[in-house]
Amino acid sequence: MRLIAASVSIGSPLIVALLAVLALVELGLLAWALLDLAKRPADRVAGGSRLLWLLLCLFVQLIGPLIYLAVGRLPAAPRALPRPQAPGGEGHVARAAAALYDAAASRARGAAGDAPPGPEADAERLGPAVELVGVRKVFRTTAALDGLSLSVPEGSVFGFLGPNGAGKTTTLRILAGLARPSSGAARVLGRDVSGAGGDVRALIGYLPDVPAFYKWMTAPQYLRFAGSLFGLRGDVLEARVAALLDLAGLAGVGTRIGGFSRGMKQRLGVAQALVNAPRLLLLDEPTSALDPIGRREVLDMVAALRGRTTVFFSTHILADVERVCDTVAIIDHGRVAAHAPIDELRRRRGGLSRLAVEVDEPPLLVAALEGAAWLRAVEVAEDGGLRLATDDLEAAQRELPALVAHLGLALRRLESDELSLEDVFVDLVEGAPR
Amino acid sequence: MRGFGAFLGKELHETAHTWRIWVLPAFILFSGLSSPLITFLMPTLVDRLGGMPQGFTISVPDPTALAAYVEYLGNLGELVLFALVIAYGGIVSSEVRSGTAALALSKPLSRGAFVLAKWLSQVLVIAVAAVVGTAACIALTAALLGVGPAAAAVAAVALWSVYAIVMLSAMVLLSAVLPAPAAAAGAGIGVYASFAVLAQFEATSRITPAGLMPAAQAVLNGAPAHWQAPLATGIAVSAACLAAAVWRFARREI
Repeated sequence: MRLIAASVSIGSPLIVALLAVLALVELGLLAWALLDLAKRPADRVAGGSRLLWLLLCLFVQLIGPLIYLAVGRLPAAPRALPRPQAPGGEGHVARAAAALYDAAASRARGAAGDAPPGPEADAERLGPAVELVGVRKVFRTTAALDGLSLSVPEGSVFGFLGPNGAGKTTTLRILAGLARPSSGAARVLGRDVSGAGGDVRALIGYLPDVPAFYKWMTAPQYLRFAGSLFGLRGDVLEARVAALLDLAGLAGVGTRIGGFSRGMKQRLGVAQALVNAPRLLLLDEPTSALDPIGRREVLDMVAALRGRTTVFFSTHILADVERVCDTVAIIDHGRVAAHAPIDELRRRRGGLSRLAVEVDEPPLLVAALEGAAWLRAVEVAEDGGLRLATDDLEAAQRELPALVAHLGLALRRLESDELSLEDVFVDLVEGAPR
Repeated sequence: MRGFGAFLGKELHETAHTWRIWVLPAFILFSGLSSPLITFLMPTLVDRLGGMPQGFTISVPDPTALAAYVEYLGNLGELVLFALVIAYGGIVSSEVRSGTAALALSKPLSRGAFVLAKWLSQVLVIAVAAVVGTAACIALTAALLGVGPAAAAVAAVALWSVYAIVMLSAMVLLSAVLPAPAAAAGAGIGVYASFAVLAQFEATSRITPAGLMPAAQAVLNGAPAHWQAPLATGIAVSAACLAAAVWRFARREI
């Protein structure tokens, strides 16, 4: 039996050339991988161990370097990108968001032949943007939501407050169509969330608490992808992407998302939630990862959207809610503990107005205040100042300075000290039955 | 099927931009090039091994184009399918775990489009890789050993491709049902082993998708091949797996 029956022999130039190419490819990959490994800091190597990758490259021929080059190299942390100077200066983000909505509305009117909205559309718009009726959500034996009911009027900025584990994220996931209630009804813009599917999701924008993106994409690529899922195409999509990149402060950033900081991802998350100019914007802790400037911009943006869309804004940062929201719901243990406009909530829980007073001899003033008809309570604060509770703020503000002057005391401070949302929140959550 | 086209485009870009491009196509191309080369060099390598005790001889058949194609098909049926099962353990669940699915599925992208776009993109990857790998195999075989039964090799790889798509569909279902990619890959190895066992019995080999590999081998060897029933049941099983995957994923919370 002949060893080689073919016309090509082992020493033929073809075989030598093939073997040489294979050897060159293998050596080239090995050299590339080893050089890269030598230059790369350990924190930019997958798994953090350069030694393991070195052994893999050296001892697993061909495949080892291939695996390292494919998955072993982590992207560099992004350079600290200067926040792009907003062309319009302060308030630019809010104006850009408002302009985005106005352009979308104008385009919609154009598509409809500038026809005025009919009575049916008006009726739909007058209904609540979000309506939850007795929603329960049970995970095994734990009820994350326990008969949650609330209604959010369209066009409002709604603050959804609660301590960790109260059910805020579960509620938003149900409204975004990612989870289903165990019982009860969840309606968005008059349509049942679980039944309507894509029709409802076409009307909402959603930012989860920790937005996750495809790391290999750039910000413009992601926004184009998000827009295309809503059916946006061509010039409309490109204009929308450019506007949103500007709004998010990511114009000109060519880095892949895998190299973004958390703040950059959060800003991109806000931008992608606006890509369809949604009628309901669901924001789950939108300011949690932002620096003070980014936080202010997002809050300004949310405030600018009032009347243009409905914002359902979940957070545990009470100052954010006080700053931008019209109405607030506080939930605890999956139930609504309070649901009202912020001012009404303060009044309802407090009933009394508060005054902060500082004088040079507090005990003298405390003694003189006994018997004052408008006074309900007085206490001395840690800083030596007085905190007065009154059911007649006008009388207190009129009579108190006169009393201080009559006693010959120096009035250093007299301020109305309103009950804060934090007071209401703590009062409700700590006082709730367990 | 809202959003199907946009999501399919994303999947194809992702395949080109991430490690996925290296796995199946690289394995198939590697098999396509290494099979004729190993077949061609094997007699020489054995001859040069030497050191045999006196009286022992190893007789190696003459290398032929058919032997190279058989080696290639063997690699596709074992090495590449094994890599497929491992690589696609997280084809659906990995996006749910990473959180990227939540953003995509909160938009008007249907769950069915999500699953089917992933499946179709990988069918295209397998098909293109099989075409390129087989072309490379035939070209190198022709240069080293002559063209041989190239048409039969193409037909055999076509049957293998259907078998690979059946396995891919099974992995899509397993990944839609099981949240952990490792668990889906483990279950996929179980499916792969079950098909290998079914292929050993003529009765089951003639009517189930497990018969696709024996049919491909028979086609390549010019023997009578019973491929019609395995092909039909393979397509039916794939469709059933996809329908079940879409049904299950539509009910899954993200």
